[in-house]
Amino acid sequence: MPPPTLAQKDKKLFADLLTQYENKQLSKGRKTADQILKKYPDHGETMCMKGLILVHLGLRDEGINLVKEGMRKDLSSHICWHVWALIQKSERKYEDALKSYVQALKFDKDNFNILRDTAVLQTQTRQFEGLVETRHNLLRLRPFNRHHWVGLAVAYQLNGNLAEAKQILEYLEGFLRNVGSYDVEFSELLMYHIRILEDMGNFQLALDMLDSNDRDKGGSILDRTTGTEMKVRLLAKLKESHVDDEKKAAWTEQADVTWRWLLSQNADCYEYYKGLLANEGIDLANVTDENRERALGILRTFFNVKPATAPRRLALDVTTGQDFIELIKPYLTNALSKGIPSLFADLKPLYRDLTKRQVIEDTVEELRTTYASSSPPAGNSVEPTTYLWTLYLLAQHHSFLGRHKQALEILDIAIAHTPTLPELYMVRARVLKRAGDPYGAAKAMDTARLLDGQDRFVNTKTGKYLLRAGMPDKADAIFSLFTKKDTTAAADLEEMQALHYLVEQGDSYRQAGKLNLALKKYYVIQKVFDSFREDQYEFHQYSVRKTILNVYTEMLKWEDNVRSHPSFIHAAVATVQIWVALYDDSTLGPSLQPSDAASETSKKALNKAKKAAHKGQPEADGANSKKGESTRRSVTFALSSLRSRLLSAVTATQSEDRGLEPPRRRDEDPEGLKLVLDKDPLECADKYLAGLTELVPRSLDVCFATYDVAVRRKKYLQAVKMLIRARLLDPEHPDLHVRIAHLRNTVSSLPEPLPAPIGPVLAESITSLLPEQVSLELFNSQYLQKHSSSPMAVLAHAKVAQISKAPQEEVETILFTVLKQPVELDHKAAFSVLSYLKDMKSSRAEEFRIACNDRFELSTLFKSAEEIATLQRWVAEQEESQGDDRESPETDV
Amino acid sequence: MNIRRAEPKDLTNIQQCNLQNLPENYHMRFWAYSAITWPEVSFLAEDSSGRVVGYVLSSIEPDEEFPWLQVGHINSLSVLRTYRRLGLAKRLMLLSKKAMIDSHDVEYIQLHVRKSNRAAFSLYSEKLGFQIHRKEIGYYGDGEDAYSMRYILKPRSLVHRLGRRVHGFVYGRQRAFAIWTLRCSKRVNQIK
Repeated sequence: MPPPTLAQKDKKLFADLLTQYENKQLSKGRKTADQILKKYPDHGETMCMKGLILVHLGLRDEGINLVKEGMRKDLSSHICWHVWALIQKSERKYEDALKSYVQALKFDKDNFNILRDTAVLQTQTRQFEGLVETRHNLLRLRPFNRHHWVGLAVAYQLNGNLAEAKQILEYLEGFLRNVGSYDVEFSELLMYHIRILEDMGNFQLALDMLDSNDRDKGGSILDRTTGTEMKVRLLAKLKESHVDDEKKAAWTEQADVTWRWLLSQNADCYEYYKGLLANEGIDLANVTDENRERALGILRTFFNVKPATAPRRLALDVTTGQDFIELIKPYLTNALSKGIPSLFADLKPLYRDLTKRQVIEDTVEELRTTYASSSPPAGNSVEPTTYLWTLYLLAQHHSFLGRHKQALEILDIAIAHTPTLPELYMVRARVLKRAGDPYGAAKAMDTARLLDGQDRFVNTKTGKYLLRAGMPDKADAIFSLFTKKDTTAAADLEEMQALHYLVEQGDSYRQAGKLNLALKKYYVIQKVFDSFREDQYEFHQYSVRKTILNVYTEMLKWEDNVRSHPSFIHAAVATVQIWVALYDDSTLGPSLQPSDAASETSKKALNKAKKAAHKGQPEADGANSKKGESTRRSVTFALSSLRSRLLSAVTATQSEDRGLEPPRRRDEDPEGLKLVLDKDPLECADKYLAGLTELVPRSLDVCFATYDVAVRRKKYLQAVKMLIRARLLDPEHPDLHVRIAHLRNTVSSLPEPLPAPIGPVLAESITSLLPEQVSLELFNSQYLQKHSSSPMAVLAHAKVAQISKAPQEEVETILFTVLKQPVELDHKAAFSVLSYLKDMKSSRAEEFRIACNDRFELSTLFKSAEEIATLQRWVAEQEESQGDDRESPETDV
Repeated sequence: MNIRRAEPKDLTNIQQCNLQNLPENYHMRFWAYSAITWPEVSFLAEDSSGRVVGYVLSSIEPDEEFPWLQVGHINSLSVLRTYRRLGLAKRLMLLSKKAMIDSHDVEYIQLHVRKSNRAAFSLYSEKLGFQIHRKEIGYYGDGEDAYSMRYILKPRSLVHRLGRRVHGFVYGRQRAFAIWTLRCSKRVNQIK
């Protein structure tokens, strides 16, 4: 049925409706729509417009239903498709919205607004081929606007058509002759052009263009630093790609001058030194004996540039032997007398060279003796704090090398010397953490915090240490000292995208076996990264309009790789492990549900959590909550362009207009109790991992996580591919050993062999990992022989024994060998073994715990449950009562 | 420590550095917006493992009084506690200042500092030559007052004042016209 045609008068009415919508006269628009619909109840376009207005008015469901109905009435109207696209876009279904826009364009191919939105969506979804076409159409419609030229050039560049991009830029520059002397946008356009020339490999052309537009010669490139960095990079590339000696010498000389100019601007940029030395043919990361002298010579010329520290520090990397000894001493004394807390972190990379490590140790010990004797009584020129910082450095040094006791002794001396320096307690906390005492560590960090309550850094650390000690409530109380007052710390930190907190909190829950809560946190991390991806949406149009091109294309790259951030990978791997555990043991999910007996207390907790979730998300109107946010954070800058748009979307919202975005829904499952009962845990796991193996191909953890899901979903080829990749990264990894055995075992115990072509390919791949004639038992014992001193290898050996159905007693016996020679057991590995024993419900777990408790005297990981509860109470105690009833078990102050 | 310009790839780590260290936090879109709009004026310091240990995030804004002039604005400056006393904050500020002058020709640089933050205040006033412009009551979310501080690069000249006259005149005309039309339309409504 064709849609009804409106009479002339009603056509005008419909036009009014469109204007009213555009001017946000919503109630008026609604009335106009009703007026039309009275006469033409089947007019699809009006129904869609009314639906859209209803959504704006906050009647979301009703509005969307009306839009859908309108669509059905008139599928050949660009207005209907446009409206539908707007609604999909507001729900962040970018792919779907794009499809609707494409439909709309079929019926009105020159609609400017639709084209513009399409271009944005195509960039967001990275459909660059379509983007080029859309930008072309935009330019065709408005050829006099320079932004559309810029937009097309960017589209070409993103699609990889550099020559076309260059062509467009040349046209554009051709008719932009009359630019002012201080045109930021034109300057950026030129830099963009030069970068495209560079990407095309036209280094000489790029260099010429850069030179002819040099600001010092009256050119238009304003940003000197970027221009110069570009120049020197081009010179290096020219040198690389040419063999002509004569020219090369000239370039080298030019590059030398340029690097030195850059260093005069910022003498602390490592990249500049690297470039300066590379220009001389010296690779700063791999200095050889032939060029060592020369490298040091060049660095020495910058020693007196104030206040740069980079050249002296780099000289420590470069030198060896006597030179190093001569350089390290003044470096250390200078830093110690200034009391630089980061000195150890600064020196740590040098420790890869054992001789240097020893030299540093000897020098610092020597300094310590000198300072100790020249301290207060002698009244020498040395400040007493220098002595203190020397002790501070030494403690970190010994702790790093695993000499925890020695480190603690030194810290005791330092604390007795100056009991009020928070840094000493912070290091003490770190040492205890390394020694396997999370409770003592948390206490020490809290002591540091109490000495400087104004500092958020110590506060954050304290919260983190408390979480590691399994004390989320106390951690929350500490965090909340620096978070918004009208909500919980957890809600505020989530809102502010605090990844460091979310990771720690998730891990803490997981450690405590609260898998449901852990999953919730890990999913918040995913949400944060999703929102990072969405943040770029605003910039596609904005950057083109303001001609911000170089940094914008950089940002697109960042967005594409944003999920390679360690926090995301950590959360993804942990989430997968939890889902796999839930899949392997289907009783686990139900066991996490609050039991009837405990229902009274858990109900209370649930209410509390609900309240918290409720507080954290000021319901219904997302826009209003953001408004509160922005005023709270006192973002009182002058409002300019996008920012004003960002904020005005928020502040200028009339009471009537609720915006297009769906309101934030209240979390119906704040504790993740329904989540853990999901029917398809593997599907959930797979979703979190999506695309990650391509993004971070060098992450072992991602390989293993992907394997774990794939093998359970019977995708054996993907599984074996992951193991082959993992073997390239680390062929002897214990987790790999277990998984190879697991795969062989799984595939060989399939009821019937897999059909071709999968079967043979798989068999071949498995053979490449583990030859067919080698039995699982042999494979396993060979592995143990190879790594007889590694406790994790013993654990892997035990796991494989379990896979090949060895009796439990035998597995236990294997695990207990970690306590004997020649295994070098540390507390971390011991804790893993203990957890494994507990997981297999071994009767000897307690025996193992006690053995470890005796062996690791500093560690509290192996205390009994009651002892740990006592320790936690001790940590939670207020400072006033500290010391009277109980000292930390491992401090002998 | 390595000191260099902040780039989009650093955004996640800059945000995390800020969250660990300072009570004033922002959403990613704010960091991204500033870093993209004024990429040349923000800097960071990183340690050997590439961890961001300090940063300065700046922007260029129009002046309050003379909106046709540009001023530099320090949005956020932070150095992790364990990386202090290296002079990182000062060096980051100086680099940002130089970049602001170089590529945006700003009139002055402004910033806000908590009244209670003595360390930061002395850095700005003693080491960097900032002066108190005014006190802003209840500027921060928790109700604390701020000092608005400025580092003047170009003293106010005759041209400025003249500019203000012209601007004031044009603006005044516009305003008068707007008020007049408003009155007229009210009149018309009354007649109706």
